[in-house]
Amino acid sequence: MKIAVCVKRVPDMDVRFKIAANGASVDEAGLKFDMNDFDSWAVEAALQIKDKDAATEVVVISLGPDAVQETIRKALAMGADRGVELKTDHIPFDGFAIARALASELQGGGYDLILFGKQSADSSNGVVGAMVGELLGLPVVTAISKLDISGSTGTAKREIEGGQEFVEFPLPAVLTIDQGLNTARYPALKGIMAAKKKPLEVKPAQLGDQTVTVSRMELPPERAAGRIIGEGAAAVPELVRLLQTEAKVL
Amino acid sequence: MSTAHGIFIAVVVLALAFFSYNAQRLVRYMRTVGAPEDRGDHPGTRIKNLLVIGIGQAKILRDPVAGPLHAFVFWGFVVLTVGTAEIIAQGLFPGFDYSRILPGPIYGLYTLSQELFALLVLAAVAALLYRRLVVHPKRLQGDAVHAGDAIFILSMIAGLMLSLLALGAFTFALHPDAASLFKPASVALSHVVSGMSPHALEIGRATSWWAHALLILVFLNYLPYSKHLHVITSLPNTYLSNTSGPGAKGAMRYMDLEAENAEQFGAADVTHLRWKNLLDGYSCTECGRCTAACPANLTGKVLSPRKIIVNTRQRLMELAPLATGDFGEFEHPHLDRGEGGDARAQGEDANTITAVLENRLLDNYVTEDELWACTSCRACVQECPVSIDHLDIINDLRRNLVLMESRFPPEIQPAFESLERNGSPWSFDPGDRAKWADGLDIPTMAEMVERGERPEVLYWVGCMGSFDDRAKKIAVAFARVLQAAHVKFAILGQEEKCNGDPARRMGNEYLYQMLARENIETMDRYGVQTIVTNCPHCFHQIGNEYPQLGGNYDVIHHSTFIERLLEDGRLPLNGEGRALTVAYHDSCYLGRYNDVYDAPRETLKRSLPVVTLVEPPRTRSRGLCCGAGGGRMWMEEKEGKRINVERTEELLATGADALAVACPFCMTMIRDGVAAKESEIPVYDIAEVVAGQLRS
Amino acid sequence: MANILAFAETRGGELRKIALEAVTAARTLADTIGGQVHAFVAGAPGIAKAAQQLGEYGADVVVVVEHAALEKYNPEAIAATVAARVQGGDYRAVIFPTSALGSDLAPRVAAKLGVGLVTDVTDIQVEGDALVVRHPVNIGKVVATVRITSKPALVGIRANTFTPKQSPRTATVEQMQPASDPAASRVVVKEVKLGSGTKLDLGEAPVIVSGGRGLKAAENFKLVEDLAAAFGNAAVGATRAVTDDGWRSHSDQIGQTGRLVSPQLYVAVGISGAIQHLAGMRTSKTIVAINKDKEAPIFKVADYGIVGDLFEIVPALTAAVKEAKARG
Repeated sequence: MKIAVCVKRVPDMDVRFKIAANGASVDEAGLKFDMNDFDSWAVEAALQIKDKDAATEVVVISLGPDAVQETIRKALAMGADRGVELKTDHIPFDGFAIARALASELQGGGYDLILFGKQSADSSNGVVGAMVGELLGLPVVTAISKLDISGSTGTAKREIEGGQEFVEFPLPAVLTIDQGLNTARYPALKGIMAAKKKPLEVKPAQLGDQTVTVSRMELPPERAAGRIIGEGAAAVPELVRLLQTEAKVL
Repeated sequence: MSTAHGIFIAVVVLALAFFSYNAQRLVRYMRTVGAPEDRGDHPGTRIKNLLVIGIGQAKILRDPVAGPLHAFVFWGFVVLTVGTAEIIAQGLFPGFDYSRILPGPIYGLYTLSQELFALLVLAAVAALLYRRLVVHPKRLQGDAVHAGDAIFILSMIAGLMLSLLALGAFTFALHPDAASLFKPASVALSHVVSGMSPHALEIGRATSWWAHALLILVFLNYLPYSKHLHVITSLPNTYLSNTSGPGAKGAMRYMDLEAENAEQFGAADVTHLRWKNLLDGYSCTECGRCTAACPANLTGKVLSPRKIIVNTRQRLMELAPLATGDFGEFEHPHLDRGEGGDARAQGEDANTITAVLENRLLDNYVTEDELWACTSCRACVQECPVSIDHLDIINDLRRNLVLMESRFPPEIQPAFESLERNGSPWSFDPGDRAKWADGLDIPTMAEMVERGERPEVLYWVGCMGSFDDRAKKIAVAFARVLQAAHVKFAILGQEEKCNGDPARRMGNEYLYQMLARENIETMDRYGVQTIVTNCPHCFHQIGNEYPQLGGNYDVIHHSTFIERLLEDGRLPLNGEGRALTVAYHDSCYLGRYNDVYDAPRETLKRSLPVVTLVEPPRTRSRGLCCGAGGGRMWMEEKEGKRINVERTEELLATGADALAVACPFCMTMIRDGVAAKESEIPVYDIAEVVAGQLRS
Repeated sequence: MANILAFAETRGGELRKIALEAVTAARTLADTIGGQVHAFVAGAPGIAKAAQQLGEYGADVVVVVEHAALEKYNPEAIAATVAARVQGGDYRAVIFPTSALGSDLAPRVAAKLGVGLVTDVTDIQVEGDALVVRHPVNIGKVVATVRITSKPALVGIRANTFTPKQSPRTATVEQMQPASDPAASRVVVKEVKLGSGTKLDLGEAPVIVSGGRGLKAAENFKLVEDLAAAFGNAAVGATRAVTDDGWRSHSDQIGQTGRLVSPQLYVAVGISGAIQHLAGMRTSKTIVAINKDKEAPIFKVADYGIVGDLFEIVPALTAAVKEAKARG
């Protein structure tokens, strides 16, 4: 089987972000980057298939500047076979432009499965995977939390509001992976060393025009300092009131 | 030459040849299977260890009952070996004895020593046999224990002593001489046989002599087939060991990750260990002091340090015959392998070449669960009378698990990932690292250097002090102490990253080196020379292990630093305070790793005017671990009793009014333990005690 | 004048709340540019009845696609049909829900049309030729203002943000045939399981009620369970201390070595807030803490805290929440 996994290099989300001087992007100074969590679950899903059938080839593709090679190498260290960097100075926000570039690389690749993470932690749009599927004319199933491939059909479970959906699809297909499908394996040093020798091709990204652009980035209003609203059961009515009106969670 | 003489020469030659054959074999096994390693450095320290621990039996004597008993047997053997040499020489050169070469009085004293020690050893052996057969101490039971072997050896020693005493008795009876002053035992015993005819006496004498000589030669040749091989290897092992220095105690082995063609990281089998680890295997006497002191073992986990060492020997003896082409031993294994544990030595397929090659130390003998249960508290290494380094093997096996096989408790993966991304084992915003210092007027190194100044000392806060609410209070307290003493200090603030100890102890050497090198680069950029820290893990790591990667700093633990400030009178303390009984809990990384036991106690005594320090039963170098070390802070404790609860119970039982610690991890674990026991007893860091006594 | 198309999501033959939110958002937008709101609804035969309610919330036209094979979500057929509708009309924007279905559908349509799409949008404005939307990024820590210049612009609205507002009219119903044969779709939804049969997973529950040592005994977890039940959509979590003691299973543990959660509401009952636990729930949108120790670290991260005896407070809170839910 031949599987492609598309991964994105995103900043670590545990930090407090600052806005860059141009007001339209996040200040990257001091940020640490890593593979998007959802994408690492997609890589893991591909590797679990490879664990069962060693003849599987897993190709990792990432769009962005040369720094994404680090992200690709991580996937290689986990066990993927080769990588492709679609080079561009800056990862655009426009999901369709990204999808176009990825689809043009994936076209004719003979992949049985093309996997994506459901969404990226930074741009949080969750559109690229399904768009690529459409562009390639392949069946698409999104937000998968359980997956079974047997032969040339697959079944998947999707979490929907208040329940689950069970879907069947034929291969080849494009799938986007949700949390809960698996836990990404931690690359052993042995894998990290082997990854250095695996092939990584660099090609220019064919992005085309972008119709979606970020004009401004802002920090949301600060989370107000918490407060102790009262003592004992007497404080309950006030709590409920605040949960309804202020926090709007009730 | 008489027949007897001829026979004796033949017997000695055969015995020595056979022994030499086995000895060479065991050495060959060790050196063929184990990787090379240089242990020739620091001969001065090594000789000191040999004298104090080996000859002086310093560690053996830590057990108040078995200790002296064994020491007497050992010293007895050393002294009696001189006599053994005389006997062998007599056999080879009939008519020889030391009186030919020693002046009279010296020979007399020599004779007396032999008599007294023979009695002493006999008494000790009798007591030891009683202990094994009647008392059944716990640590002499369980896995990896050869009971029969021990009884046999003790009996042989008894036999040696009896034959020696009999020899003395018969000899004196035959030739009562003026030197009877130096032969009290012989004199007394000779009365028993005085009624016999000279002919009978001579037979008695000759029999005793031959019995003694033969027993010696049999004993010697029995050793390679017995766990009592330690008789030969323990002194060399003590000399060659690093567990009491030279070098930093407890420093983990350096690992070169850049080595070209390096294929194996850590150890999965004995072939990945060094010859010294294998010598440790030979030297284990199965005494069980390590296991008896292990906090994991005594709270019901599967880990037994003794078992790991015995397993190492077992696996070596399983593989080495094959590895060295010793097919005789391979087909019919006789040399001792140790017993118990998960040895696959039993079973039909056991001795096939495939089975032996497929086996490995990891998994077939030592399981993951055993390895992850270790808190790296060093109690096993501390107690071992023959200076075995259990941690060296445990750490190497962990390194293999993580670096080669990515096998580790799943709950530590987030810690690894967070260390890699955020430089701290918890997913807190690294930007918050210095928030505890807000409003306290503490400059960062960057700020100080920008002002064109240098601090006296760098205060390394650590991840606990930066992110854990309770530990932040310790940092604040210590900072106040430093300020009260007008110490010019700075913190690294956001430039500080985890020192890497959790990663290293959990086996992730790659991640550790990445973090350590970043820290070293930062500190060298600022020209840092002196560091003070309140966390013993940071203290040990930066002070003792960073030099491996080129980071050389003078690192002081805050308890020592405060003690110095108090001695220099730099801290204005108010002399009041009510009478308080405090139990101080020793941190493993401060105590056993770095021998800092007194500074925290002195600090408490000096800062609290009316304080009574009470010690829990397991204290100082015998202190029980809080359970957080070895990366266990990030792991779940699923089996047995919780280590921190075990320790807290002991501390509470002292009846103290308050508990004191000098480590933020101990703080967390002991506080958790206190909550679990539903006690309200306060737990303080010593910095907080001092800060509370500052004259404002 | 260009119009706005609003996708009205249904479930079990009924409109979901977010369908009305989509129509409301479309109505506001249409009023700004002086165009019409066309609502798009698909389902099994009979779904046309939704047209009336759609009209109440501002739809001028309701495009109805009825087919037996559309009883369950049929991504390929619906995407093809929506795209066909857009291509056959003059639309400035298409509003989708950001939901499991909407997030699956919208990108398919966008790719078919070759236009721009932004999901999880909290505000929509018109600026000349472009649609300008607000969209949280970086797990909500930053808010982006995004310009979409494609015609049409596709937008997925965030749930519970565009409050449904009535703007009644009688909608014209236009029947439309599916643009591709629903029975020939390659991706087939075989089964949908709904309801409380499956225990709500900590990772998706909008509300989590968690218990710690302060509960004193395993039996007392009932208080936590009752409170969770009162919320209706809550999962029950626990700290490491209580899972280590065996009061709850390890899969319920929230914290550094357990689950990392980020619900809308996190209620910490009898939890002190040790660093390992905080690491697991700090990113919750709203945190409520109930603890008898006012110095407990949990109060530093809680938005709202009540100090006192949880054995009195939690039952009172449970009753109050039940009442608030009943009032609706």
